[in-house]
Amino acid sequence: MTVFLIGAIVCLILDLLLLYRVFRGPTAADRICAMDALDLVTALALVLYSLHSGRTIYLDIALVVALLGFVSTVFVGRYLERRL
Amino acid sequence: MDVIDIVVAVLMALGLFFAFIGTLGILRMPDVFGRLQASTCIASMGTIFVVLSGIVYVVAHGMSGSVVVKLVFILLFVLGTNPVSNHALCKGAYRSAKPNPEPIIDDYKEDDPQ
Amino acid sequence: MKGFKFSAWLSTAILCFLFWMLLTWSVAPRELLWGGLVSVVVAAFASRFLIHSRAFYLYNPVRLIVLVFYCVIIFFWEVIKANVSMAKMVLSPKLRYQPGILRIPADPKLKSHYGLAMVSNCITLTPGTITLETAQDEEGQNYYYVHWIDVAETDRDKAGDAIKGTMERWIGRIWK
Repeated sequence: MTVFLIGAIVCLILDLLLLYRVFRGPTAADRICAMDALDLVTALALVLYSLHSGRTIYLDIALVVALLGFVSTVFVGRYLERRL
Repeated sequence: MDVIDIVVAVLMALGLFFAFIGTLGILRMPDVFGRLQASTCIASMGTIFVVLSGIVYVVAHGMSGSVVVKLVFILLFVLGTNPVSNHALCKGAYRSAKPNPEPIIDDYKEDDPQ
Repeated sequence: MKGFKFSAWLSTAILCFLFWMLLTWSVAPRELLWGGLVSVVVAAFASRFLIHSRAFYLYNPVRLIVLVFYCVIIFFWEVIKANVSMAKMVLSPKLRYQPGILRIPADPKLKSHYGLAMVSNCITLTPGTITLETAQDEEGQNYYYVHWIDVAETDRDKAGDAIKGTMERWIGRIWK
């Protein structure tokens, strides 16, 4: 369905907006916060694209992207807390 | 274009609207705590409604049940892992970053439960 | 291995096997055999991180039904309310708010660590509040340290009611 393709493109535009914060953010925590949100939005774009194209392999990729974003965010958070 | 497609499109638009709210919050908020609070919108409402629209679409078009299970898994993993990462990042930012509107009340600094 | 319990291992293996069956979505004997092997090996390593006491506590239909009801109705409603207020705040042109970190008391009936973790995760997942830490004082009373983006109430008990809403009562019905 074409609506899903439009939704995926909207997600990519949101990704570009978030990249502004990744490059601009004053501290490391800002950048990582934006990267975490970027991971989630990318996973949403992959979900919508898999529904558009009918190929379920993109759902697995979305799952892996979401989980890897979680792991990296937790590691950087622990590092900023000086506990790693 | 029947009723199911309209329902799917409305649900997806609602999810993308809240993802947009989260993005706008990340761009507009003045300090890292506000950005973290706003980014929760993407994880909660954005993911819930986008996945819900996908489930409605897949069920209505009679695709395989494994797709529904994978969508539900994506939703559960995101809802389960995002609070943990947000909490870790917020604690890290509390140690390293400076809050821009000063908090009017800060029990955590007074008690310091380490 | 230190801290290895048979019941925890069995419970984790059943959970892993259910996940495997749902993800592969086939009942071919080859898939079932390999899934069983992998979940048994994984459970031997992971069970001591996942389960500390009462291994089969959640394999109870009443508790599972309450859990699903909580996730679908109560939690969803709280998330919708918090999201709408967050959307109003972000879309307003002035963007004025007063953040604060509050120590709010937990329900004294809620003793389980799983319950406390689930309440604090649900608080974090509603936009506008993030749990920084849970702590316990000398009398055994648990506290959450919550970063609230727009503090409307500086009194701790009333703020706790406003933040937690009905979520903690329902989680208290799942984890005693």
